[in-house]
Amino acid sequence: MSSLSDYVSEFTRALENPKELIDDISRSGKKVVGYFCTYTPVELIHAAGAVPVRISGGPMRIDRADRLAPSFLCPYMRTALERALAGDFENLFGLIQGYTCDVACGMFNVWKGNIPLSFYHILSLPYGESPEAKLFFEKELVNLADRLSDHDMEVSDAALEQSLDIYGEIRRIMQWLYEKRYDGELPLSAREFYTVIRGIQVLPPERTEELLAGMVSSLESNAGGDARNPGGTPILLSGSLVEDMDIFDLIERSGGRIAADDLCTGFRHFDPPAGDGRQPIYRLIERYVAHFPCPSRQRARHRAPLLIDLAHRSGARGVVFLIQKFCTPHLTDIPILGRELKEAGLPSLVIEMEETGVMEGQTATRLQGFFEMMGD
Amino acid sequence: MEKTKKSTKRLATAKELTRVVSEFYLECHQAKAEGKPVGWMPPMNGAIELFYAMDLQPVFPENWSPVCAAFGLTPANFEVAEGMGYSQDLCGYLRNIVGFVHGMMGGDHVPLGGLPEPDLLVSASGGCIPAMKIFQIMEHRFPDAHVFRGDLPQVALEHIQPHHVEYAVHQMKQLIEFLTEATGRKLDYDRLAEVVRLSDESCALWDEICSYRRHVPTPISAAEIGIMFVLVTRQGTQIAVDFLTKVRDELKERAENKIGIIEDEKLRLFWDNIPLWYNMGLFNYFEKMGAVVVAETYSAAWSIRMDTSDPLKALAIKTLKSYPLVSCLSVETRKEMVLKACREYKIDGALLHSNKSCVPITLGQADIKRALEEELDIPSVVIDADHMDERNFSPAQFQTRVDAFMEMLLEKKGLL
Repeated sequence: MSSLSDYVSEFTRALENPKELIDDISRSGKKVVGYFCTYTPVELIHAAGAVPVRISGGPMRIDRADRLAPSFLCPYMRTALERALAGDFENLFGLIQGYTCDVACGMFNVWKGNIPLSFYHILSLPYGESPEAKLFFEKELVNLADRLSDHDMEVSDAALEQSLDIYGEIRRIMQWLYEKRYDGELPLSAREFYTVIRGIQVLPPERTEELLAGMVSSLESNAGGDARNPGGTPILLSGSLVEDMDIFDLIERSGGRIAADDLCTGFRHFDPPAGDGRQPIYRLIERYVAHFPCPSRQRARHRAPLLIDLAHRSGARGVVFLIQKFCTPHLTDIPILGRELKEAGLPSLVIEMEETGVMEGQTATRLQGFFEMMGD
Repeated sequence: MEKTKKSTKRLATAKELTRVVSEFYLECHQAKAEGKPVGWMPPMNGAIELFYAMDLQPVFPENWSPVCAAFGLTPANFEVAEGMGYSQDLCGYLRNIVGFVHGMMGGDHVPLGGLPEPDLLVSASGGCIPAMKIFQIMEHRFPDAHVFRGDLPQVALEHIQPHHVEYAVHQMKQLIEFLTEATGRKLDYDRLAEVVRLSDESCALWDEICSYRRHVPTPISAAEIGIMFVLVTRQGTQIAVDFLTKVRDELKERAENKIGIIEDEKLRLFWDNIPLWYNMGLFNYFEKMGAVVVAETYSAAWSIRMDTSDPLKALAIKTLKSYPLVSCLSVETRKEMVLKACREYKIDGALLHSNKSCVPITLGQADIKRALEEELDIPSVVIDADHMDERNFSPAQFQTRVDAFMEMLLEKKGLL
């Protein structure tokens, strides 16, 4: 039986070279469809016979992307464009994006004008949950399915059912692993754990399910080694994407322990695991309408109790906002959110990530000060 | 060159602007004093016509920001917002209004009396994230206001389909229901039809006004763009129609008599993105070299013709179209719109304002720049600035870039 770290290694390899990953899947005869944001209905893309792969950026210096996009955009979108212009995504079949934030939507259009892919589609997502909102969403999804079928990518009810099942199962396992983390029973470092979550966003779900099942067996038979309680001040990590994996080590080295998160490369990716409904399309709709909300979709006052609940459930004693620089939805919410968290006894600290990562020394000092302030 | 400067206006109607703006804000305060419900809303949506049809008072916090910039109030407002934790990287409209409502609002010496407190907060969504977030913060600041959170589809202009329109109409109906319940006022559909007819008449007049930009020399320039104030705040009223009629008549006369904005027009320029509200005098800067900014993209979002036979549907469609027209939601359509304007208005060069306060309009400019060069052989220059925050504008850098650009254009035309 493989050890937990063997499984993590495969996720790490998948993330290290996005081009190789996409090229390999394409060579196997599958179409690869990219997406930026976790509000993109990956189940529908998968049901159409394609492999949805979340577009990667990652810490790097920007060169080519400067010609097409201003400097005051989030590092994720700029570095992803840099990769695209370097040819990393040349074997991508298409790009599908749900309208969440202005930058993701605008960059979708910049890609469309500059990166030649066979298929581009953007969905309008309802903010509400009323029957009319769901009906509207259904029409958007059917519209996407029709467009996919124009490219020989038919979506049948049976295929959608299957895709919903497999993604549901993956998310359920992730939630189980996440709960284990709350309880200090998961022998993975923060870097390893978040590598797994980012990995499931890029690997084909069939392979992901195998790897996760292996991890579960390994944990149940204790082959993964004893759960080590890493110690440190338990915190909730809130933000959007974190692609600079060094920051996780930095948090732990500085005396923190990530007990829970509110990241779209984290908890927001798999909560809720699935939706209920008599027909597969309704299961899909219910899942996305109930998506743990990103600040681009919800008010700070709506999100505050959700974060407080996450913190209480996990034992987190404070919140570190780890924000992509220039991220309007997150940055706008911080004053109100910070105040509400404080009233609930949760102090917070804001750290902004730039394209080349965070300033290590300065960030470590701030983190250490924050953890010390919270005490043991 | 100064960081902040007012524009020199040549149109008699543009010179009336101070009065027009003052009257609007006076009306807002009077409404509040008389007990008429006051509702705050983002610009560019059909709620404004519904408000006028129901005899409610609309107030536009986003429009208040240019007024603050003109009165030099923005630095103080920014200080308040930034002191509360709002990042300097956020949109200047957002920081300005947040700072205003938590700072000088209600004080004794606020120009035009400031803004009356809202009884209603109507957030349509469907626009940019800062526009939506402004209203979320306002909900927090004015907890007693009745709140309507709309759910308009964000869809590129070229992709609008019947289900988008159906959902937008549903949203308009929800808004009517909310307004009726919150204010006790019923919507008279005949009155709505009249308001929509007036709104469409304003748009027709605006299109006609814009058509005078074709004339050489141009009888109108971006320095007079403040005249669109009535399009922003008074859509669907006779006041807007009357004012725009006067503007149209003045332009007609100037065009017939070949009276240009400047005497010896050598270069015709195009401005993309929101102006620098604290330095509208920038539009006069180019005149030293015989250049005039003939047209700009920003006003397009407020002038959308409507099928007045179905008022509610017309407003829903207009609302769906407004934001994409000027944002990265429809880069393709926006690009075509810029190319069309540059062709029709015989533009020699384009000024692309890379606006730190507005990502949705700035994103896609590189594609527009390329299209201008490749398809129309029109050179352009990027101006790094900010429509609200003068700290992000460097006059020296602007002068260096723009002077060199205009020299190049003059040389290209054989005028140097």
